Amino acid sequence: MHEIGVREVVQFAGFTFNWETLCMTWLTMAVVLLIAFLATRNLKMVPSGWQNVVEIIVTSLQAQIETTMGKKGLFLAPFIISLFMFLLVSNWLGLFPTLASPTNDLNTTLGLALLVIVMVHTLGLKMKGGHYIAHFFQPTPVFVVINAIEEVAKPITLSFRLFGNILAGEILIIILLKLMPIWMPIPSVIWLAFSIFIGGVQAFIFTMLSMAYFASAVGGADEEEGK
Amino acid sequence: MIDLNMTLVAQILNFLILVALLRAFCYKPVVRLLKARQDRIAESLNKADADAAEADKLLASYKAKLAEANKKAEAIVSRAQAQAEQEHEAKIQETNAQIAQMKKEAAEQIANDRARAVEKLKGEMVALSLAAAGKIIARNLDKDDNAQLIDEFVNELDKDKIGDVSC
Repeated sequence: MHEIGVREVVQFAGFTFNWETLCMTWLTMAVVLLIAFLATRNLKMVPSGWQNVVEIIVTSLQAQIETTMGKKGLFLAPFIISLFMFLLVSNWLGLFPTLASPTNDLNTTLGLALLVIVMVHTLGLKMKGGHYIAHFFQPTPVFVVINAIEEVAKPITLSFRLFGNILAGEILIIILLKLMPIWMPIPSVIWLAFSIFIGGVQAFIFTMLSMAYFASAVGGADEEEGK
Repeated sequence: MIDLNMTLVAQILNFLILVALLRAFCYKPVVRLLKARQDRIAESLNKADADAAEADKLLASYKAKLAEANKKAEAIVSRAQAQAEQEHEAKIQETNAQIAQMKKEAAEQIANDRARAVEKLKGEMVALSLAAAGKIIARNLDKDDNAQLIDEFVNELDKDKIGDVSC
């Protein structure tokens, strides 16, 4: 993002695409795949070094999924790991000069949030059926309005929280560089460090909230069936 | 700044592709490895348990065999002891019998010898008597001479007295 608020667009097959966002997304994907490949190549029966870290991440995530969603939530584990890695790399990518975060574009964050919400409702319907629809009318049918607002608010809050944090961080980096003379880099450095922290936190929050939504939709299905 | 367009759909597709790639090339191998290791550990533990049970069984069987062997050895020793004792007893009895036999034979021999000696003596006595008689006849003695000769003869006999032979 070289000029704030202006995006390069390309037209393809009659549709408009934000070219920079797409390029940065592909770069992010490449980085994520490279990291994942480096972490998981050369897996051995007797673990050592990075393999231990990878295994801890996978097993602890699987354990958490199993406690909140049960065994049938396990297929979501790669989705959640990918979500976190993608968001983390995206958020930090914008901190490099001349690069931008894919997540500074609402298209990215809203796309991911909508994907998560659609998956949540689909899985809820598939696994709980009628009970899932019925729970929108709990405790009394009047609550369907409040529940509907909540469901609509979920993707909006999810996407705007991430988008706002990252975009604000990048804008402030540009503004600080323009405001401060070149011999006074301390505010920029401090803000950069804070942006690293924010990038990690926002990726974590997005992933955790997605997991919470998944858990409320998928989890407890066993007890409902048992009733 | 907030301009939604087809990028949204593209981003969803991008992310789904990323998920598919990560799942296929990075997540699956890790999970597979974890599963394989879990299986292997379980297998090893089972095998260790089985081996331990087998070892216990083997030990018990060896102990039983050892005890049996001990019992057999004891039986053999006691049997050998009994046999030796028996043989010892038999030997003593045999020796005793031999001694008795020898005693008897010796006694018989002594008796025989004595009998033969008596026989011999008797013969000599007869010869002597004959000689004495011959002498008496040849000299034609009177009564006094006769009596004196018999006395002499009897005294001579007494001089060579033969034990307590009854004759």
